[in-house]
Amino acid sequence: MTAPDEVTGRQVTGPALTGTPPPVKGKLDVDTVYVRSLVRSQLRLAVACAIGFVLILGGLTLAFLLAPGLGTLTFAGFPVSWLMLGFGVNPLVIVIGAIYVRSAGRNETGYLSLSDRDGPT
Amino acid sequence: MNPVLGYVAIVAVTLATTLIGFFGLRVSRTTGDFYVASRTVKPWWNASAIGGEYLSAASFLGIAGLILLQGSDALWFPIGYTAGYLMLLLFVAAPLRRSGAYTIPDFTQARLESTTVRRITSALVIVIGWLYIVPQLQGAALTVRITTGLPSWVGAVAVAVIVGVVVAAGGMRSITFVQAFQFWLKLTAIGVPVVFILLFAWDAPPGDPTISFPTELAPSTPDAYLTISLLVALLFGTLGLPHVLVRFYTNPDGVAARSTTLIVLGLLSVFYIFPTILGLMGRVLAPELATADTADAVVLLLPGRLVPGALGDGLTALVIAGAFGAFLSTSSGLVVSLAGVISQEAFGGSVKGFRIAAVCSILVPLAVALVAEPGGLAGSVGLVFAFTASTLCPVLVLGIWWRGLTDRGAIAGMVAGGAACGLAIVAGRLIGPGVELLSSLLAQPAAWTVPLSVLVMVGVSLGSKRRIPGSTDLFFRRLHVPERPTAGR
Repeated sequence: MTAPDEVTGRQVTGPALTGTPPPVKGKLDVDTVYVRSLVRSQLRLAVACAIGFVLILGGLTLAFLLAPGLGTLTFAGFPVSWLMLGFGVNPLVIVIGAIYVRSAGRNETGYLSLSDRDGPT
Repeated sequence: MNPVLGYVAIVAVTLATTLIGFFGLRVSRTTGDFYVASRTVKPWWNASAIGGEYLSAASFLGIAGLILLQGSDALWFPIGYTAGYLMLLLFVAAPLRRSGAYTIPDFTQARLESTTVRRITSALVIVIGWLYIVPQLQGAALTVRITTGLPSWVGAVAVAVIVGVVVAAGGMRSITFVQAFQFWLKLTAIGVPVVFILLFAWDAPPGDPTISFPTELAPSTPDAYLTISLLVALLFGTLGLPHVLVRFYTNPDGVAARSTTLIVLGLLSVFYIFPTILGLMGRVLAPELATADTADAVVLLLPGRLVPGALGDGLTALVIAGAFGAFLSTSSGLVVSLAGVISQEAFGGSVKGFRIAAVCSILVPLAVALVAEPGGLAGSVGLVFAFTASTLCPVLVLGIWWRGLTDRGAIAGMVAGGAACGLAIVAGRLIGPGVELLSSLLAQPAAWTVPLSVLVMVGVSLGSKRRIPGSTDLFFRRLHVPERPTAGR
C-alpha cells in the first residue's frame, strides 16, 4: 500500500492530488498530447467492442423473429431457440473480451514506444 | 426432504468458511492488509474470488427458478450477469486499478476534488450494499426452511452471524482465500448434480416440448422494453457494484486487472451453463414447482427427485452446501466493501473501526430481511443492479473517459438517477402490474433512468465548466498511461 504511484511518483493512499501544478492555458506539452490520443484510441476500441456485443444480441433476436421454426425445432427435447439464447451468447462475449485485451495492450505499447522515443518528460 | 442432509451440508460449509477465514487471519496484520490484501493477489486467485463473491443467491437459485417461472425471458439474466463484466473490462477495469484509490468514494473524491461528491458516493455505496445483502439473507432463509424445516429467520440470522464474525476478525486477505474457495465450491456443487441428473434423466420419458416450452414464452416473443431495460440494468449495474470494484484494487497493475476480468468472463460463462440446464430441465420434469413461492427452490429439490437413494441424498447435500456458500460469500464480500467505506467515513480507517463497521454493515440488512416480504431472488437483485446503473455507473464511466465532468455535474446526475430509480421501484410496487406502459416503465426503470442520470451529469457539467479540476490532465495520465516495467517488479 505504500508503493508510489508509477506515473506521478506520489504516495497513493486514496484521496490525493492536492497541490498539483495549475494547467498551462493554451499550451500542452507533447506527452499530454500523446496521453489524450491514447485515451481516445482506448475509448474508440471499447465502444467498438460494446457495439459488437449489441450487434450479436440484435442479430440473435432478429434470427428468432425471422425464423420462428427455431422455436419448434428441438434438440434433445429442448427448443433450439431456447438453447441458442441460453448457451450461445456467453462464448461470444469471451471472444470479444479477448480481442479487447489484446488490442488495448497494443495501444499501450504504442504509447510507451512513442513516449520513450521523445525521451522522459 | 431429509433434514439431516440440510444440517450436515450447512455445518460443513460454515466450518470450512470459518477455518479458511482464520487461516488467513495469521497473515493479515496491517490496515493495508485489511483493505486490499496489499495488492499482491494473482489474476487467477483474484478472478476466482470475484466469481465467488459475485455468484449470489440470485445466480445459484434465482436463475433456474425464474426460467421455471417465466420461461425464456429469464435466459437474459445469465447473459446480462456475464456481459456486465465485459462492460467492466471495456470501460473501467484497468483505469480504476491505476487510479490508486481504495474505494469508489476515494476515486470520485480524487477525480473531482470534492468531499461532497465523496459523501454522496459513500452514501450510495452503503445503500446499494445493504439492498444487495437483503436478498442473500432471504435466500438463506428459504434454503434453511426448505431443507431443514426450521423457521425462516434461522437461516438469515445464521448467515449474518457467520459473516459478521469472519469479516470483523479476518479482513480482506482472508476473504480473498474464502471467496476463491467459494467459487470452486459453488461450481462443483451445481455442476456435479447436473451431470448426474442428465445421466439419470436421459432414460426418462421426454416431455411434450409444446407444453414445457410454449411458444408464448419463447425467445421470439420478448417484451422489447422490459428485455432491453433489464439488459441495461445488468450490463451497467455490474460497473458500479462496490464489492466487485474493491477487488480491482488488489490487482498488481492495470494489465493484471484486465487479465483478471477476462478470466472472470470465462469462469462465469462456465458456471451459468448449470443453473440454465437446471431451469430448462425443471420445466420438463418439475412443472408443479412453478409457483412464486417454490420456484427458487428448484435447484435444491431437483437432484433428490431424479437421482434415487444415497447418491441422490449426497447430491442434495452438495447443492445445499453450494447455495449456503453463495449466501456466505456474497454477503461477506459486500460487508467487507461496506465496512471499508463506513470505517473510512466514520472511524478514520482504523482496524478497530473496520470491525465495528463490519458489524453495522450486516445488522441493518438483517433487520430489513426479517421484516420485509421476500420477492423473487433474481428479480430483487435485478432492481439493485438498476439502481447501481443509474447512480455509480455514470459517475465512474464519465469520470474515467470525459475530462469535462465536474463535481456539480456528478452530484446532480447521481441524485437525479438515484431518485428517479428509487421512486420508480417504490411506485411500481404500489401500482403493481396491469397499467399497460406505466407498469413496465416502473417495473424495469433502468432504460430511462440511466440515460437520465448521464444527461443530467453531462448537462450540469457543461454548465459549470469553471469547476473542472486543474488536476484533470494529470489524473487522466495516471488512469490511462500503462505502468512501465521497472527493475524489481
